[in-house]
Amino acid sequence: MIGQFFAEAFGVLNGNRARSLLTILGLIIGVAAVIAIQILGHAMSGAVGGLLGSLNDRSFILFPNARQADIGKAAFRIDDIERARNVVPNVAVAMPAGGTQRIISFAHAHPRMTISADSDVSFVDVPLVYGRNIDAQDVASASPVAVLSDSANRRLFSSIDSVGENIRIGEHRFVVVGVRSKPIQGIIPITFGGDVFIPYTTYERFYVRSSPLLFARFVVTDPSRIGETEVGIVNYFKALKSSRSDYATFDRKSFTSTMDGVFGAMTLVVALIGAVSLVVAGIGIMNIMLVSVTERTREIGVRKAIGATRAQVLAQFFIEALLLSSIGCGIGLVIGLAIGAIINRFVLIALSGVIAPIPWVQSVLIAVIFATIVTLVFGTYPAYRAARLDPIEALRYE
Amino acid sequence: MSEAILCRDVTKQYKMGDVVVDALRGVSFEVQNGEYVAIMGPSGSGKSTLMNLLGCLDRPTTGSYILDGIDVSTLDDNELAAIRLKRLGFVFQGFNLLARRSAVQNVALPLFYAGVPTRARLEAARRRLAEVGLAERADHRPNELSGGQQQRVAIARALVNDPAVILADEPTGNLDSQTSEELMGLFAELNRNGRTIIMVTHDADVARHARRTIRLKDGLVVADETQGED
Repeated sequence: MIGQFFAEAFGVLNGNRARSLLTILGLIIGVAAVIAIQILGHAMSGAVGGLLGSLNDRSFILFPNARQADIGKAAFRIDDIERARNVVPNVAVAMPAGGTQRIISFAHAHPRMTISADSDVSFVDVPLVYGRNIDAQDVASASPVAVLSDSANRRLFSSIDSVGENIRIGEHRFVVVGVRSKPIQGIIPITFGGDVFIPYTTYERFYVRSSPLLFARFVVTDPSRIGETEVGIVNYFKALKSSRSDYATFDRKSFTSTMDGVFGAMTLVVALIGAVSLVVAGIGIMNIMLVSVTERTREIGVRKAIGATRAQVLAQFFIEALLLSSIGCGIGLVIGLAIGAIINRFVLIALSGVIAPIPWVQSVLIAVIFATIVTLVFGTYPAYRAARLDPIEALRYE
Repeated sequence: MSEAILCRDVTKQYKMGDVVVDALRGVSFEVQNGEYVAIMGPSGSGKSTLMNLLGCLDRPTTGSYILDGIDVSTLDDNELAAIRLKRLGFVFQGFNLLARRSAVQNVALPLFYAGVPTRARLEAARRRLAEVGLAERADHRPNELSGGQQQRVAIARALVNDPAVILADEPTGNLDSQTSEELMGLFAELNRNGRTIIMVTHDADVARHARRTIRLKDGLVVADETQGED
């Protein structure tokens, strides 16, 4: 019986195809927009996650808080960093951070590159393609060894295995011990690290000397207690400056929570757009349904005269609204998925190299919820009006 | 013969604002199964009101109306709808076909509300269309049919549920005289085949085809005469 009502309602809507399509246009656009934006947000957070894949959860950066008058006064010296490692528990490595630009020479190539300090407990998790990472021995003896990034190896050695080659960094000679693979590039252009990585002890000896530092990197032993370690480090440096300076830290978790905040705001905006388009589309459908009820007053009278009950007339108009909103949301779903997939494929994946899966379940859920709400809120009243019509009056209606 | 319709002291009052209008003031008559009755009367005589009551679209204010053995004056809306569905067939002056549906779909409509499956519905509708001589036009929409053909479709629709009584309200009101004559022939044929027909009209030429005429005036039956076969 319900199936027959659907067939009957479909017959009515199909008989007036142009109007049916116009009625659901708002719903199509609304659902398509919400689903496309939703896929976009999903892909973007996937891209950010991919980006952060190169920053591990054992490390954090210390830097002077930007909200103070004289940041220069907050700078710290290298032995302060060394001492902090011994005073604050859970710190495995403490080293200066922030690269320095130097001319690198090999054969006839002399590019200018960023030299970064690293340790045997690496700050980033990027796999190697050749050789090895900096080890504890390198750090202990401040060896002149270098690990090249993928791009440095490409520029100096045309991507061949360069392990064992000698390069010059400024006036110092280094031996290449390893080459890193290409890091995943996020859509937000932050790179953790530089082109050439050397032991931080070597870095300190050759490039830092006594100049004040604004950034320090710390690697912890127990990543689950990274939060309290950060507090401990900040307090240590504040005490060192007699609380006249303030410091902040940055780690994977804080970055993630910042991005979560951004995406949370985006989700809220999407939800608002969704709600607005839902109401607009719903009012459109209700308006057309009411017009349809008025226009079809005689038809309703005939249907009642030949024996349709109130419930049957109600069901007919309600199912017409349900069909309209379902078809609208269905078309919107397909269009939204298509737009989202295209943006995802040709913009986000191309930019970030991260393949974020399309959130099918969420998208279908959005469409179903839209259809349900529109039908229930905006389809019920016109159906009720139709069912309530007096057959005698309705038959007399011109 | 058993009674298809039994009306006893039927009255109907309408409230138009503060004014109470007595549309029917005590109407009593019987219609036997297989009869062909014309109800005549000038406008304001109460014939439309009587038609609405006979058609179970409305309930009498007082009095009783027994249709096909069932006292319908006390039924609720849903029960009345069921009576209209199973025991009555309507033929309207304006045909009242659904414009965007084919003839066969229009005829099948009452069976839809009776819960008959689609295939059986359309088969029955085609048989009824053949009965009124429109088998070839079954898949045409109303606007592709002449007035007479549209009214035949409407008659087929009235017949499709095999009702006890066919109620026709000015069935020839929108038709020219030749088409009217043809349609009257169809009604006569249906009546010969045992259908009970009640027809409201103000056209004496049309009423002449019925074998009995009930005349209303000011809400009362003023004449009830049976004429011989044509």
